[in-house]
Amino acid sequence: MDLASLRKKAEAGFKAVGFPSTKEELWRFTDVSRVAASDFSSEWKSSDLAFEALDKITVVFENGRLSREKSNFDALPQGVCIGSILDLADSRIGTLADAENAFVTSNTAYFSDGYFIELTEGAKLDAAVHVVYLADVEGAAFHLRNFIAAGAEAEVTVIEEYIGEAGRKYWTNAVTEVFAADRAVVDHYKIQRESAEAFHFQTLESQLGAGAQFSTHAVTFGSALGRNDIRGRLTGEDGEAACNGLYLLKDRQLFDTHIFMDHAVPQCRSHQLYKGILDEKSRAVFCGRILVQQDAQQTDAVQNNGNLLLSRAAKVNTLPQLEIYADDVKCTHGATVGELDEEALYYLQTRGIDPRKGHAMLVFAFANEVLDSVKCTAAKTYIETLVQDWLDKVDV
Amino acid sequence: MPLLEIKDLHASVADKPIIKGLNLTINPGEVHAIMGPNGAGKSTLSNVLAGNEAYQKTSGQVLLDGVDIDDLTAHERARAGMFLAFQYPVEIPGISNMYFLKAAVNAVREYQGKEQLDAMDFLDLVEEKKKVVKIRGDLLERAVNSGFSGGEKKRNEIFQMAMLEPKLGILDETDSGLDIDALRVVSDGVNALRSPERGFLVITHYQRLLDYIVSDFVHVLVDGQIVKSGDKSLALELENDGYASWVGE
Repeated sequence: MDLASLRKKAEAGFKAVGFPSTKEELWRFTDVSRVAASDFSSEWKSSDLAFEALDKITVVFENGRLSREKSNFDALPQGVCIGSILDLADSRIGTLADAENAFVTSNTAYFSDGYFIELTEGAKLDAAVHVVYLADVEGAAFHLRNFIAAGAEAEVTVIEEYIGEAGRKYWTNAVTEVFAADRAVVDHYKIQRESAEAFHFQTLESQLGAGAQFSTHAVTFGSALGRNDIRGRLTGEDGEAACNGLYLLKDRQLFDTHIFMDHAVPQCRSHQLYKGILDEKSRAVFCGRILVQQDAQQTDAVQNNGNLLLSRAAKVNTLPQLEIYADDVKCTHGATVGELDEEALYYLQTRGIDPRKGHAMLVFAFANEVLDSVKCTAAKTYIETLVQDWLDKVDV
Repeated sequence: MPLLEIKDLHASVADKPIIKGLNLTINPGEVHAIMGPNGAGKSTLSNVLAGNEAYQKTSGQVLLDGVDIDDLTAHERARAGMFLAFQYPVEIPGISNMYFLKAAVNAVREYQGKEQLDAMDFLDLVEEKKKVVKIRGDLLERAVNSGFSGGEKKRNEIFQMAMLEPKLGILDETDSGLDIDALRVVSDGVNALRSPERGFLVITHYQRLLDYIVSDFVHVLVDGQIVKSGDKSLALELENDGYASWVGE
């Protein structure tokens, strides 16, 4: 199907099916009726929002449209191509993001822009590609469509950062599809700093060839209502997928993470480490599903979700789901919801550290464990600063 | 002035009396060993001294350098010069040993009215102390005690003690779970930290630690009280005869 037909079909699907309700299993804890009930405009303007470039290559979107002036992706090594998705003709668009829910179908139907990054076989990009989405139009819907395709043995680091103006209410609806061919390495980060009033939804789909490595770290600070749907398909032996994340929530924020890791072939590894810190009346949903198909012998899959509640009114629904049809596999999962470790606090105190400082150190440490696996130094330093800023404001 | 004076100390855990009238005086430069069977109150004593809120002091007095420590919380006692080497050091994933040590050293220095160490000075201090307590550099970069072996954890305790330079070091069964090599390294560290000003309270079940850390005084703790005190020969006596005669009484 060509792209135009695909978009037409998606629009028809979106109009016929509409938004999911909490009666559906996958949306049990996340009520999106507020999104469904909102009218979104397609008004456009440039954006004055500031951002900090994290590396040499930046791709900047202002209210859903690529800004050539603010971007900097002209000097690229051979074999690397970056641009607007509107200029890409690739029949693979839409082949991974095939879910029939309203967020994917409306995105496919209405996406206004997005980035693509293509690397030919063996191409390597040393600098991280920092993609910045600036949002400051009240009442707008931003349907962003992204596409990463790394050829065999290619290597790339991509940091998606969503920045919204405080106080603005809008809807970001992004879909990113990642194709990592054999032995390719794709290191993906998502830093979500939408306004506290915004809706934010993203579907991140990845497909890994033999020996490919895909990792994603999703760090969430913003949005009143948000969700990450992350799906990995391990389709070649010896592939490795890591989905890690951190959500820091307060007020009445609700953030939902749904992961689906599909082990279709033998000898693949997948890791999930998600941590949340919740204050006030915030809520988190974590659903990590691991499917090990019958042929996927010697699968090594680990899943962990840890939550720290700073307030008695905060709430977490965490649902690990392992579905295993092979008999020679190593799969573990664990979920915790708790408060700070009193013993650790005492230990810090016996070293002269006062309880207030000790408390702050332990909360940071709790979050920081997710960042241990961050390979990109620029991303790590930046995220650590953002986490520290967030913690300073919540008065842990 | 004595470094530590414990006068008729009574303490409970979950309302159960454990320490029942304990007296002990440690002068600067002295090493005291407290030996006792399981359940004698060894860990309770170290935790009460360090200020663990799960342990309640019910009566008596504890003076550190002449100051009653009743009103001091755990971190204030640490800043005042008390150091507890844990029997089971706590693992803290997510905080690097170096970051942790710097926070601790600077907290203590602030209390003592000394300048905060910057990154360079701190590294110099680490290098200096690494010579005293043999510890691998990579352990310092890793998260506090996280995934450390038993021996590495204890070594880390002694390294922290070296960094914080306390007036009084309390070693709570530091020898438990150590093989002879680790025991020797840890003991060498403690011996290197001995000074005319610093005192030690070495709490142990077994005599073998005292082969390496030579004590000036040995006390036998049974059922929350010191039932006998003597010099280092008392430890050997216990090694030969065990605690049976004491516990039986």
